[in-house]
Amino acid sequence: MPAASSGDVDLLESTANAVSASARTDALDRFLAEVEVKAFRIAQTALHHEDDAMDAVQDAMLQLVRSYADRPAEEWKPLFYRILENRIRDALRRRTVRGRIFAWLPARHRGDEEEEADPVMDAPSDDPPPARRLEMDDAVQALEKALRSLPRRQQQVFLLRNLEGLDVAQTALAMGCSEGSVKTHYFRALQALRAQLGDFRI
Amino acid sequence: MTVHEERDSEFERRTRTVLEESVARVDSRIRWRLAHARRAALMQEETRLHRSFWRSFGLLPVAGTAAAAALVAVMLWIDRPERSAPVGEGMQATLEDIDLFADGETLELIEGWERGFYEWAVAQAELSGEASG
Repeated sequence: MPAASSGDVDLLESTANAVSASARTDALDRFLAEVEVKAFRIAQTALHHEDDAMDAVQDAMLQLVRSYADRPAEEWKPLFYRILENRIRDALRRRTVRGRIFAWLPARHRGDEEEEADPVMDAPSDDPPPARRLEMDDAVQALEKALRSLPRRQQQVFLLRNLEGLDVAQTALAMGCSEGSVKTHYFRALQALRAQLGDFRI
Repeated sequence: MTVHEERDSEFERRTRTVLEESVARVDSRIRWRLAHARRAALMQEETRLHRSFWRSFGLLPVAGTAAAAALVAVMLWIDRPERSAPVGEGMQATLEDIDLFADGETLELIEGWERGFYEWAVAQAELSGEASG
């Protein structure tokens, strides 16, 4: 069998690279599909705004795919949440600046960017929800309110550990801090939530 | 595990249940938007990868043209009638020429040559042929 020329080798390498890139894209698709809804809830809890949360998650997806797709798959989750946290921080910073600017404008202009209420979306359902659902509704609202009252770092560590299930090391990587800080923030978050929610029976 | 730790872990379990419920309640409109955002991100990456894959094929015609030009030059060199060196020596020179022209860097140099060179080389070969004939 004749030896392959350098052109053939290049072609084989290109084809192999294309195949591995396709497999990587599939793996990324599965990973993002797994985390996207939880990531949205985390962003929404931090930003209290659906579109801002959606923008933050979309930016994080793009950044992960563009810059970190070549990294081992087990690193994707902490990296993704690190990027998301940066996007959330940027959005909060922009909002603070915008708030300062709008504070100088007459009051009637301030509500311009607020979302208009959608009567169809907000209309109560005719079907009376079962008692269990009502109980869960109350629990979700109470926890959301309590989480929003937490300092950002405590909120973040609590959601990453409890909602996303990251361990201490992954949470430290996602938050860009030491494992000791993660434990401290988590303990304080737990104490603050317990103080607000009591035993939190559901 | 102390009573306090047990209470904490029970509290964590309950909050986890509520958080998972809040995720399950994210409506289909949001889920659709998230899936759309994911596909857009992946498509952008795929486009980038495909572009680099096809770029490698784009160099093939250039390399082929350069190789053909090199072959013509070698043939002209071999057909020079005044060359009367022994066959073994001629073969050695030809092999060296092939090595020279098969070299990737040399091919890039050949791309810059003008057509006039080949015409001149052909004319020289013909003149040499007439002079000897």
